[in-house]
Amino acid sequence: MMTAFLPTLAEPQQFSGWERLLFAELAVLSLAGFWKQLGPILGNILQSKKDPGFRLFPIGRRVRDFVWEVLLQAKVIRERPLAGLAHAVVFWAFCAFALVTLNHCAAVFGLGFLDPAGLVGRFYFDFAAVFAVACAAGIFGLFVRRFVARPKWLGEVSWESGLIALLIFALMVTYLAAFFVAASGTAAQVLWWAHTLTLLAFLPVIPHTKHLHLMLSPITVFLSRGGFGEIPPLADDEDFGLVAGKDLTKLISLQAYSCVECGRCMEHCPANNTGKLLNPKEIVLGLRGYLNAYGPTSEEPLLGKYNAQEAAFECTTCGACEYQCPVGIEHVPIIVGLRRGAVNTGAWEDQRGARLFLTLERGANALGISSADRDKFVDKNSLPLFDGTQEYCLWLGCMGAYDPRGREIVLALVKVLRYLKVSFGVLRKERCTGDPVRRLGNDLVFQQLAEANFETLKQNRVTKIVSICPHCVRTIQEDWKAYGTPPEVEHHSELLSRHLHRLPVQNLEKKEKIVFHDPCYLGRYRGIYEEPRSVAAAARDLVEAPRSHERSFCCGAGGGLAFLGEEKGQRASQARAAELAATGASVVGTACPFCNTMFRDALVEKGDGAPELLDIAQLAARGLPE
Amino acid sequence: MKIVVAIKQVPGRDTPLRIAENSRWIDESEMQWAMNEPDAYALEEALLLKERDGGEVIVVSAGPERVASTIREALALGADRAIHIVCEDLRRRDALCVARLLAAAIKPEKPDLVLTGLQSEDLGLGQTGVIVAELLGLPHATMVLHVERIDSGLSVKRELEEGWFQSIELPTPALLTIQSGGNKLRYATLMGIKRARTKELRTASAPELGAEDAPTVGLDQISVPKKQKSTQILRGTAKEAAIALVERLKTEARVL
Ligand code: SF4
Ligand code: SF4
Repeated sequence: MMTAFLPTLAEPQQFSGWERLLFAELAVLSLAGFWKQLGPILGNILQSKKDPGFRLFPIGRRVRDFVWEVLLQAKVIRERPLAGLAHAVVFWAFCAFALVTLNHCAAVFGLGFLDPAGLVGRFYFDFAAVFAVACAAGIFGLFVRRFVARPKWLGEVSWESGLIALLIFALMVTYLAAFFVAASGTAAQVLWWAHTLTLLAFLPVIPHTKHLHLMLSPITVFLSRGGFGEIPPLADDEDFGLVAGKDLTKLISLQAYSCVECGRCMEHCPANNTGKLLNPKEIVLGLRGYLNAYGPTSEEPLLGKYNAQEAAFECTTCGACEYQCPVGIEHVPIIVGLRRGAVNTGAWEDQRGARLFLTLERGANALGISSADRDKFVDKNSLPLFDGTQEYCLWLGCMGAYDPRGREIVLALVKVLRYLKVSFGVLRKERCTGDPVRRLGNDLVFQQLAEANFETLKQNRVTKIVSICPHCVRTIQEDWKAYGTPPEVEHHSELLSRHLHRLPVQNLEKKEKIVFHDPCYLGRYRGIYEEPRSVAAAARDLVEAPRSHERSFCCGAGGGLAFLGEEKGQRASQARAAELAATGASVVGTACPFCNTMFRDALVEKGDGAPELLDIAQLAARGLPE
Repeated sequence: MKIVVAIKQVPGRDTPLRIAENSRWIDESEMQWAMNEPDAYALEEALLLKERDGGEVIVVSAGPERVASTIREALALGADRAIHIVCEDLRRRDALCVARLLAAAIKPEKPDLVLTGLQSEDLGLGQTGVIVAELLGLPHATMVLHVERIDSGLSVKRELEEGWFQSIELPTPALLTIQSGGNKLRYATLMGIKRARTKELRTASAPELGAEDAPTVGLDQISVPKKQKSTQILRGTAKEAAIALVERLKTEARVL
């Protein structure tokens, strides 16, 4: 028989009465230890408040995420291939070992269902052995990485991680060794006990350490809100955001306990990388610490001992953390939630922040300029007014209407639209979409702005919007949903790339290089990466920055931060501008008026050698006949 | 300390001003309204005093129904209760007329301190507060940037011309008109708005307050100033220039 050549696992044939008793006692002890840790954690999660607006369906997306991120470990592998693969084999080995372990324990009482000598059993044990080898190698690799290579985002070396690695390694070795001994000998018995004791020691350690993710993260991934950076609605009249423990929802508590402390979030965080206090990992761990100390019904403020207000207001809501997190933690709603708690109750005192709020309470735009100025711009450039007959409402946004650079981008787009004969019009009474106040957590002003804009859109019968600002696009499409049904809206890169074939071919002989910077709100938030690139590539020779696409590094303007004061540490815009300039490209291509101003200021310092800064609309317009 | 703050609702900064068809007033149909900024500073000063020393802040405002939104805003910012003196036709009331209404509402409250902005952003008369002080028989100080409570009453910092300041002391009760910029304004919050719903907002008409209520101003016409460049520079010695000026005021401008 073929199976005769396969190695066989040695499993003790007989267990004496005292062995059974000892095992039963130890198992009860181990399970009790396990539960003693896990019980209060589950209690904290389940006692947290219901998630407003949470819907389980449609479930397809959840299943897809689960298969892709959990079962296939695709996200982990994709973002950090080596460590990811090592992690994946450990995970798959654990899955394969579920049956082995069950059988292992059942065998003591003579209830084993996999017979090492039988066909099925032998196949399965060998199958598991392959994973055991890979897992042992993988965990060894991870151990070396954590204790020898020590990337900084993994944080302080913890003895717990070492212990866990050791236990997993021992589990695999004691399993594998049993293939080399005789089933009837003492060796088999010793190995069985060694394996069992390791297992029983492992169990209570799980909920005590970050290895809790082993149990929670599959659930976290499955239940995550899903809409990227999605800010949930407030539950009722007494909900002002995340003020105290009583405001933490089940999802947030679940996420807080799921963090595996891998540090991917901080590795990609623009704030953390430029010397700010904010560390997205610490935000999550801070909530965990809070829950352990005060519980989910506490009135103790969340911003205090465990999380700092300063950190919460340093976030650009770029979403790099959320995008990277392998266990489905949604940082942006958490951070914005903390801001809501501080702003909606008036606890946040910031001179510039207050000025922005007052400006938008009273006026129509975030820059605090008289709307007469906008009218002048519209009239002087004879921009047609939207009257319901044109296809697009061209949404100017605050930057497009008032900022000199933003106006140049609008005028370039207008030139292209006219060339393409795409009909459009602008509104007289457009107000700020509310993006900065939404991200800063001011629900009051956001609601006022959204409702006023809905009214204007209705009066003018707008059905389709195009805008040069990814922040406007996102806010109109997603955030306004809380107060009505927004019209169709797209970013100009989408429109331009659709019509690219109708634009004249640009002279590409003298190839100059262009590097395109992915705006957070276009890329990660909207999933638009290739459209603006196609426009840029039609004009110049496209090169990529070291961090691009999903890994793009924020310009520092998002989350309302463009309107707050000077940054602590290095400016994010300078870090990014230097990276873009270092590609040697002669043009930096942008697709967001905020990125544009941030880089303009940052590049000024480079003097004459600085690359030229152009929006993709300006690139497209340059190719047009005068 | 019991503090009354008199506030006024004025057109929002960014709102378009159009003259109504009859040319008697502006078209208010599409206007946005806001709290007069110096009054916002007066309210801020009152709230700070309350936060420091305790007490009560009562807001008083006169005007038609639309004024209620600004009163609500004041309650949301932290005022404890409010009195809305309902009256139409503000355009036909001068400072004295409005001051009578305000004084009638304030008097029964017997406040320790009355605060109001030094002037309104729309009409800019700058008299209402001072007249209220006169009607209530209170000592007053104008253009105040900062108020502090001391044993003998109040110590206030006034802004004078050319960067000069004056510190004076007053007994209470007193009335102060507040200059913009002395403090940082707080922003309205969702919690404030929700809490404001349960706060007392009493409405009262002039007769109910026992106030005199006859509009005093007859308004014939309002118009946008005509744009004309007719600057003339009168040369010569001061005496010659003065003679020339009087001549022109008589013959060209016809105001003498
Ligand atoms: S959203 Fe961006 S800035 Fe904010 S914590 Fe995450 S990575 Fe950092
Ligand atoms: S929040 Fe997510 S990405 Fe950050 S350390 Fe925890 S598990 Fe890793």
